[in-house]
Amino acid sequence: MEHVIEASNLTKYYGDFCAVDHISFNVEKGEIFGFLGPNGAGKTTTVRMLTGVSIPSDGWAKIMGYDIQKQSVEAKELMGIVPDISNVYTELSAWDNLTFTGQLYGMSKSDREERARELLKMFELYDRRNEKLEDYSRGMRRRVCIAMALMNRSSILFLDEPTSGLDVQSVLTIRELIGKLNHEGLTVFLTTHNMEEASQMCDRIAIINHGRIAAIDTPEKLKRTTEGLQSVEVSFGATTRDILDGLKRLPGVEEARKQGDKFRLYTDDPPGVLSEVWDYSNTNGLKLITVNTLGPSLEDVFVKLTGIREEPRKGESKGMMGQRRGKGGIR
Amino acid sequence: MRWDRLARELKVAWAIATKDMKIYYLRTPSLMFGILFPFSMFLSFVIGRNMPISQAIPILVAQTVFFAASTIGPVSIPMERRLQTFDRFLSAPVSLLTVLLGKTIAGFIYGVGISLIPIAMGLSFFDSQVTDLSALAIGMALSAFGFAAMGIMFASLPGQGPGEVMMPLNFVRIPLLFVSGVYVPVKDLPSWGQIASAASPLTHTIELIRLGLGGDSFFGLGFNVIILTFYVIVFLLAGMRFHILNQKRE
Repeated sequence: MEHVIEASNLTKYYGDFCAVDHISFNVEKGEIFGFLGPNGAGKTTTVRMLTGVSIPSDGWAKIMGYDIQKQSVEAKELMGIVPDISNVYTELSAWDNLTFTGQLYGMSKSDREERARELLKMFELYDRRNEKLEDYSRGMRRRVCIAMALMNRSSILFLDEPTSGLDVQSVLTIRELIGKLNHEGLTVFLTTHNMEEASQMCDRIAIINHGRIAAIDTPEKLKRTTEGLQSVEVSFGATTRDILDGLKRLPGVEEARKQGDKFRLYTDDPPGVLSEVWDYSNTNGLKLITVNTLGPSLEDVFVKLTGIREEPRKGESKGMMGQRRGKGGIR
Repeated sequence: MRWDRLARELKVAWAIATKDMKIYYLRTPSLMFGILFPFSMFLSFVIGRNMPISQAIPILVAQTVFFAASTIGPVSIPMERRLQTFDRFLSAPVSLLTVLLGKTIAGFIYGVGISLIPIAMGLSFFDSQVTDLSALAIGMALSAFGFAAMGIMFASLPGQGPGEVMMPLNFVRIPLLFVSGVYVPVKDLPSWGQIASAASPLTHTIELIRLGLGGDSFFGLGFNVIILTFYVIVFLLAGMRFHILNQKRE
């Protein structure tokens, strides 16, 4: 396997606070590597160190063998970066943004104009290439930002929360595009707190929490680490707080959680719990609408590894759980 | 560094400069601190005095080159930091010096461009004369470059907006006006004032511009050029050092 990104003991302190705590990992050529973690886990700080924007407090990182600090020009030639916010020049047109990026990478005039034309057509922005980006929607700016990261025909693309805050159509377009680019050989380093995105797109995932890597593996292998964790998902004609309390008391239910108009019951014995739910609905005059049995999801793995389960249940929509509800969990 | 590498770095610096010209030259803080500020300070000083216009023009030229050149960096860099566009430079395959050089060139051109206005006014409408073109050209070029680099150095202070940089910058810029022989000629200053003025880069700006426009230099052309060159190097290197510290801290 060829390592295109190597990180060893990468560490970042902000004063006394350790944002990234001696993390080490490798990313192989051609894979989509997910960096999954809640807000403040150290994802963006890691990307900033890997791309040379921030200087590590300790440790090192190499891009295709080039040390990002000692051989920064060679390393930076090989990468494209899409940060967590679309850092485009809104006072300039899409065309000017792309050609300026080409200039930063030392591309010749003809080469950068040809590449800009190609990318603007690929991103369906060519017809509006001369408009200033202040007139573009957020999704369109995001597409320009990704196009800028591809100007130099990079081998590695760093994407920091690429679909965060975008409408569904833009999200689907961007995911499709990332998949296509990866199929063409581009290595992708994707940071996200969206587990659906990570599960669907990534070959391997590192879960980071409090600046430390809790696990690195393929999504399916990560799910297998919580094989014992099964659940039954039910929905009734009505959803009240009393129902959740009643379901929690059912024999065999280890934990119950309300998720939108559904209830998720964690158990080691799904058939037994199904029977109990049936009795409960009949006794209380509730109409069962849907019943599903579910295996462990990446979300479950995440909750288990990061130990955030108790916190959101007490605080409800704070932190990661709030984001999970907003983004949708894995089914 | 190989010549092709150097040529590439210079092209990138120019690309950054031209981009900054398009985006930041007409921004409100640039117009306010770069043009309005020196002109209004000048007018408040000369109105009501019986100063010959030929003596006043060098003061205006020095003030405009000083304020205009040192304004672009403190406008562009904090804005780029806030919008994270500055990260584009840090992740691009160019040296930090190239990035800061590009920003300095943008300030340099702004400073020279704005200060040419009072020179043109003096030559066209008043009795100003260029008596030493090389002193005037060297003075304006070195000063514009040095003050642009000074602005870049201040722009490395942590802050998310131009105002947060302008405040400490003006805390330095305005007192410098009073120890640099702008309003009171160096020869009329007390001895401690003359020592202070020798250390001020603005002193050497006004002296070279006065020399170019028919006046004389208290410290002499050679000393003026050496001190200004020294400050160009110091401001550029200090700016680079501060930006590296930022990268370590952020």
